[in-house]
Amino acid sequence: MRRLSTLAWRSLAARRLRSILTGTGIALGVGALFAALATNAGIDASVERTVRDVIGRADLRVAAFEERGLAPETVAAIGGTPGVEVAAPIFERRTYLLQPPEAGHRSEPVTVHGIEPASYGQLHDLEVVAGAAFGSGASGEALVTEALAADEGVGVGGELTLLGAATPGPRAFRIVGLVAGNGPFYGDASRSVIVPLADAQALFERPAVDRVDLRLAPGGSLADVVSGLETRLTVQPYVIADRHDLEASLRASTADFRAMIALVATVVLFSAAFLIFNTLSMTVAERSREVGLLRAAGASRGQVYRLVLTEALLLAVAGSLAGILLGMLAAGVIAGYVRRVEGVTLGGAVLPPGAAALALLLGVAVTLAAAIEPALRAARISPVEALRAHNDPGAFQRARLRWLLAVFVVVGAAGLLLAPSDPVSGGAAAVLRALAVYGVLLAVTLALPGLVRPLGRLAAMPFGRLFRAEERLTRGALARDRSRTALTVGALAVGLTMVVALGVVARNVRLAGSEWLREVVPGDQIATSIRPVALAEGLGSQLAAVDGVARVTPVGTFDVAYQGVRLPAAAVIGADLQADGRLEMPEGGRAAALTALDQGGAVVVPRSVAQRFGIRLEDRMSFLTAGGLVELRVVGIVERSLPGRNGDSILVGWKDATEQLGVEGADFFAIRYAPGWAERAGPEVDAVARSLALQPATLERLQQAVSDALGHIFALFDAIAVVAVLIAALGVVNTLAMSVIERVREIGILRAIGMSRRQVWRMVVIEAAVLGIVGSVVGAATGVLVGVIMLLLAGSRLGVPFEPPWLTILLAIVAGVAVSILAAAYPARVAGRYSIVRAVRFE
Amino acid sequence: MSTTPTPTDTTPVLEAHELTKTYHLGDHTVEALRGASLSVAHGEFVALMGPSGSGKSTLLQILGGLDQPTSGRVVFEGRDISGLSDDQATRLRRDRTGFVFQFFNLVPLLNVLENVALPFTIAGINPRRAEIAERIREVLALVELTGKEQHRPDQLSGGEQQRVAVARALVTRPALLLADEPTGNLDYSSSREIMDALWRAANDQQQSIVLVTHDAKAAAYADRVLVVEDGRVLEPIVLGRREDHSAATLIARLAELGL
Repeated sequence: MRRLSTLAWRSLAARRLRSILTGTGIALGVGALFAALATNAGIDASVERTVRDVIGRADLRVAAFEERGLAPETVAAIGGTPGVEVAAPIFERRTYLLQPPEAGHRSEPVTVHGIEPASYGQLHDLEVVAGAAFGSGASGEALVTEALAADEGVGVGGELTLLGAATPGPRAFRIVGLVAGNGPFYGDASRSVIVPLADAQALFERPAVDRVDLRLAPGGSLADVVSGLETRLTVQPYVIADRHDLEASLRASTADFRAMIALVATVVLFSAAFLIFNTLSMTVAERSREVGLLRAAGASRGQVYRLVLTEALLLAVAGSLAGILLGMLAAGVIAGYVRRVEGVTLGGAVLPPGAAALALLLGVAVTLAAAIEPALRAARISPVEALRAHNDPGAFQRARLRWLLAVFVVVGAAGLLLAPSDPVSGGAAAVLRALAVYGVLLAVTLALPGLVRPLGRLAAMPFGRLFRAEERLTRGALARDRSRTALTVGALAVGLTMVVALGVVARNVRLAGSEWLREVVPGDQIATSIRPVALAEGLGSQLAAVDGVARVTPVGTFDVAYQGVRLPAAAVIGADLQADGRLEMPEGGRAAALTALDQGGAVVVPRSVAQRFGIRLEDRMSFLTAGGLVELRVVGIVERSLPGRNGDSILVGWKDATEQLGVEGADFFAIRYAPGWAERAGPEVDAVARSLALQPATLERLQQAVSDALGHIFALFDAIAVVAVLIAALGVVNTLAMSVIERVREIGILRAIGMSRRQVWRMVVIEAAVLGIVGSVVGAATGVLVGVIMLLLAGSRLGVPFEPPWLTILLAIVAGVAVSILAAAYPARVAGRYSIVRAVRFE
Repeated sequence: MSTTPTPTDTTPVLEAHELTKTYHLGDHTVEALRGASLSVAHGEFVALMGPSGSGKSTLLQILGGLDQPTSGRVVFEGRDISGLSDDQATRLRRDRTGFVFQFFNLVPLLNVLENVALPFTIAGINPRRAEIAERIREVLALVELTGKEQHRPDQLSGGEQQRVAVARALVTRPALLLADEPTGNLDYSSSREIMDALWRAANDQQQSIVLVTHDAKAAAYADRVLVVEDGRVLEPIVLGRREDHSAATLIARLAELGL
């Protein structure tokens, strides 16, 4: 041994089980971290790719704010703005394919893009992989995406019939070419049909466009064009967006996912930090005699300190590197599993070297932070320790849990570093949420040493009835080193906290989603339209004519501009809502308010909006429209209202909507059956709806879709959180192994005076069970608390009702106890097999 | 549990025939016992003496069922215990023998009362049952620890700790008490307290005892001293039961044997 640091290697090799456990803990923690980093990098890359695809060579996009779109004069004005070189008008609508009656019905919509090939081709590339590109854009020809062609089993030369507005009826298009993959679209637009602009406008009987993509003339300035547009476009409201706006909005919409995955990964790292701190503490306690000997032989405090840190560093580097490999695998699996976040389709996992370096750095930083206190403790060991006959590590040199504060700060800082830093409203909320979670975890950790004894006593009680001796000895073992017990229990609690908290959030968000729909939708079924259906078209009365349908309520969804903010709004028939008994209205007389909506000049505001803008009953709200300012009186404030794209909708009557706010028609019909008719009338309503190009869906199916989408994402978060539980299991193995090794003699004596192997085995298993119960119960309780805090932080906007996810809580507790008991298998076997003779021999 | 045969009763509680024990330590083979034989009568107090490495501790462990001989037989209360299963050996230790070791006899987390009651607790017998509680009081009185029931081991002196161990070994009225250097780590007066307690058990309660010791002053309490050398048991030195425990005769005899 040439250098003292060689001792670090040897010592790690000598305590192989513990080194492997610690290393695995670090690897799992860093793995989760790296997987989160890689997943988020993948999302970023996908956002960039989507922006590139969607924006193409355009510099600016002018989109219609209102449903009626941009009129030809407006399009001409945009094209004529100085500094604009190319203006490509684009029409976009969702619709359905007309299915031959014999084909089983397919319900997914398609997106129709109406383009002018000449201008569009200058800004966007349509990569045609089969057939021909649009030449001059002959009428009746269509390009389809490969994805749609594959779905429908059609190819070049085939035909697709698109449903359009009522009067021209469906129209067949001949497929002249296939566009690679999903085409340059995002979101649900992978099933896309591209047709000439005029055809699209004719199909939907709508001589307007939805947006105009612009390219600036060489040397043109964006600011000049924007101000030019502002002076020229005065008739219709519009929205100008450039590449950065789109990117920012996509980033903002994926921010919550990214923040959540970072938070969960950080909690895994917390769990790992507990394990590392605990194992290193044990190593130091166990070696006090060895350290005393080194000190007696002349090793300085600094040398001892460095020795312990060197060991930690070796573990950290090895564990972190293994973790990065694990994380790469995990990131690949996650990318395959998630596929799409908020309309952004994920490419494969991205493995940024910067993230690998960061993960390694954080792995080492957390490990070293956890190692400092044990190292200092080792350095303080007096040379006299070497002379002590009894080596009872439990009796002195216990870990000081206050140090966890420092470890928490390091891990917490790491977590905040990982959170998406977009300057959007979600960013601050995400940071607040993370801080709240860390705070609760820290508080619980610090309270644990005090809680462990009473909770342990309680948890052990049932065992005491059956196995008196084992239970008594177990309790003693747990009390022997409370820090160690607390750390072991703490790791388990932290892991389960996250699992339960996610359960709380998932359940309540789901519940809120479906409750919300049931409470605000005045129907058992809805039929969605892909275009605004003017009330005059009479689609509603055709649906209402079906036997068993009691009422059909048209609802139009749109946006309004209020105080410079885009708010979701819905046009409703107040009388129908009144008759249906929907909408809880704590402020304003319900009947009077709903009647006022139909009469006009009135608005009902959801509480969230009222709070945000300080709106009170009888206030006047001014909305900016094409026709100038429209003033409406607030006649009611509702608890919850129809869901819009970003929050609850404000409600207006149809009169105001069509006459003043530019709404063209209904986007869905809520269908209420007469009592007992749902079963019988359902199929016919579906058929009629389809024949009217409406998409029928029952309320349950909508709720199910919301629930499934949430379940899919939360399952991923759960899977990551479970890694923390696995780390905790390693901690239990380690603690029990240590507890058994420390008690070699005690167990020897017990065996000598007649304790059977089975009893010894049982004693260790009971110890594990008690650790498991305490950890699980504390974890579940903390989880509910953390979940509620997360809900409150988000729910101040959502108003989510609280209901504990009992099943998740039960499963978490059972799993926590089961994991602990499984972890006890090995130490318990070892303890049962101790040779009594060796155990009672002096040293 | 066992009743009261007199020291003159010659029925052996324990007989060992030609015991051998071979250990393998890497490439080395150590023969700890090479044909040791002995017998202990009911109520008899026997001491095993011998130099370090003579095999006396190994012999004691085999006699008490802690370890198995390589060859030979141990007959305990008329039953061959050399081939017992682990469970059978465990029951034998729990119900019929008691052990006192040199170190680490007590469970540090339990108080004196709990430590003494441990064999009952392990057997699933409630130690608060009247006759059990009475027996515990009796043995605590025998080792002169009445009043220290609630003390924890770390609050006791080394001698007191060993007396708790003796009390625990005696509490089930075992057929045989085995003690491995119980005074090895103690000062003179503590040693005497231990030996006095053991002697009272032998004398007042007809307890059969096998004691392994280095110390001639301790061995002098025994009725008979067996010298172990090189894994064999030499001729006994019979001292008889005496009140004065003088070691003079024993020391003289040991000197004759060149020990």
